[in-house]
Amino acid sequence: MDIQSCVEVRNEWDIVSARQLGRNMAKELGFGNVDQARITTAISELARNIYLYAGRGKICIEPIDQLGRKGLRIVALDNGPGIREIRKVMEDGYTTSGGLGAGLPGVKRLMDEFSIESTVDVGTEISATKWLR
Amino acid sequence: MTAKDALTERYQDLLSVYLKVKTETTLYKGQQFSRKLLEQQISPEDLVSLHIQVMDQLFPDMSEEMRDSFDFLLEAMIGYGFAYREHQSLRDKQQQLESEIEVAASMQQTLLVSDVPGFDQLDIGVVSVPAKKMNGDYYNFVKSGNSLSVAVADIIGKGIPAALCMSMIKYAMDSLPEEQMKPHLLLENLNRVVEQNVHSNMFITMFHGVYEPESHKFHYAGAGHEPGFFYNAKEDEFHDLIAKGLVLGVSRTTTYHPYEKLIEVGDMIILLSDGVTECRTSKGFIEREEVVSLIRKNMDLPSQKIVENVFQELDRLQGFELRDDFTLIILKRLV
Amino acid sequence: MNLQINQDQINETYELKLTGEVDAYTAPKLKEVMLPLTDKEGNIVIVDLSGIEYMDSTGLGIFVGALKSSKANNSSLKLRGMTERVKRIFEITGLTEVMDIESGVKGEAL
Repeated sequence: MDIQSCVEVRNEWDIVSARQLGRNMAKELGFGNVDQARITTAISELARNIYLYAGRGKICIEPIDQLGRKGLRIVALDNGPGIREIRKVMEDGYTTSGGLGAGLPGVKRLMDEFSIESTVDVGTEISATKWLR
Repeated sequence: MTAKDALTERYQDLLSVYLKVKTETTLYKGQQFSRKLLEQQISPEDLVSLHIQVMDQLFPDMSEEMRDSFDFLLEAMIGYGFAYREHQSLRDKQQQLESEIEVAASMQQTLLVSDVPGFDQLDIGVVSVPAKKMNGDYYNFVKSGNSLSVAVADIIGKGIPAALCMSMIKYAMDSLPEEQMKPHLLLENLNRVVEQNVHSNMFITMFHGVYEPESHKFHYAGAGHEPGFFYNAKEDEFHDLIAKGLVLGVSRTTTYHPYEKLIEVGDMIILLSDGVTECRTSKGFIEREEVVSLIRKNMDLPSQKIVENVFQELDRLQGFELRDDFTLIILKRLV
Repeated sequence: MNLQINQDQINETYELKLTGEVDAYTAPKLKEVMLPLTDKEGNIVIVDLSGIEYMDSTGLGIFVGALKSSKANNSSLKLRGMTERVKRIFEITGLTEVMDIESGVKGEAL
């Protein structure tokens, strides 16, 4: 399975679909149960953000192979309002989710690589990768 | 064997021992083991996964439901993992901030230290202790010509913003030609500077006085500062040292009233910040009379000893935890 | 470390009844309530402090800010019902000379 698979996120049920997709792909790649849980949670958080702040968007998941090193990449895309202060949003302690360590800094720590691009009134693209250990 | 394998093996050993013989000792060992795990930065979900792995080894015939329940627990643990990792990160951040504050505090020490000058006629004692790392109380002695001027100020707000404000006063004071200044005029000048430069919720209380050795007169003025005391040796009585005036920074046009007192041999001028009178003990607030009686008790000692003893006693009464920055200054006329 | 604010309004007159302590922790809450009121021209803001047992200088700072705001925006600020301890800090800081402070007994009519 080399092709990227995507899930449209428009409502809360789609969050579950995205999780399912992620879990299946992670299992297939050989990720252990903890990493499966981490990947799935990262997908949840990103999908939730799309649902809560952008209204709609998509989560795409693809297996990747870099010089023999295998991993899974998640890309969350939306055409929502964008993030005005990326720096603030990536700070611990700054939260709109009730302060439980979740949010984007939380996602960053669940995964191995993380990048974010956002433009106000245009949209947001977040990419996160986890490597097989 | 990797570190992870070693931990897994250890966990398995501890768990199997416990399952055979449920002793407090093993439970205690389990708790100590979690310290090791934390040292290795094993997160909550890692621990659940470790448990699953070990249970699989110990009970290969474990029921499917039991097995599945652990998977469910793993998912639920992820939330705790979030909080744990954020906590780690915040602790690191806090340590960094602490060390930055240390640097700022020691810079402040260097910039704002005011030596207690030697002055022929007066025996001077000073104690100024911050409640937190940075001191919001300010005091300054300046010898110019034959006179000695003394200022005490309290910047409202605590902590870093207050201390930054203080630096501003010090520089404003250093650049005003103090010799020509009468205390009430200095306050008027300073008030204008403060009013223009501080946040609307900040203000500064201040007392400023100048002692002239030829006339033995002490000229002074106050801007909303906690009244000090004056000890009249002849009457053997303490009085409040009142210098009414509006705190600095409220209104650009505030004017201050000049006061003066004749200082006889043996008289004392006692200046303080409200950290002294805001002392709260288990019984309630320290009253001004109690501060006076503490001073009276130590009266015959050199001024520095008096202030130190009074501070120690009040510190002790407060359980060694200052609520506010504490400043106490005593000037005693010797000759 | 707790502050309760009860607010009553009749037209442009706002009465705030405070209970508890106004200190560094509770001051921001008071500021959030008072400032929008004093910022508006023509408002009459009456603050009843009879339930305040303790106020520190941070709390006082909020009233200084409210005073400045009412002067700048042409609203009116009255304080009343202070206990001796609280009144004292307003007196020492000279604020009693520049603020409208009623020294009334509890229960007196508006």
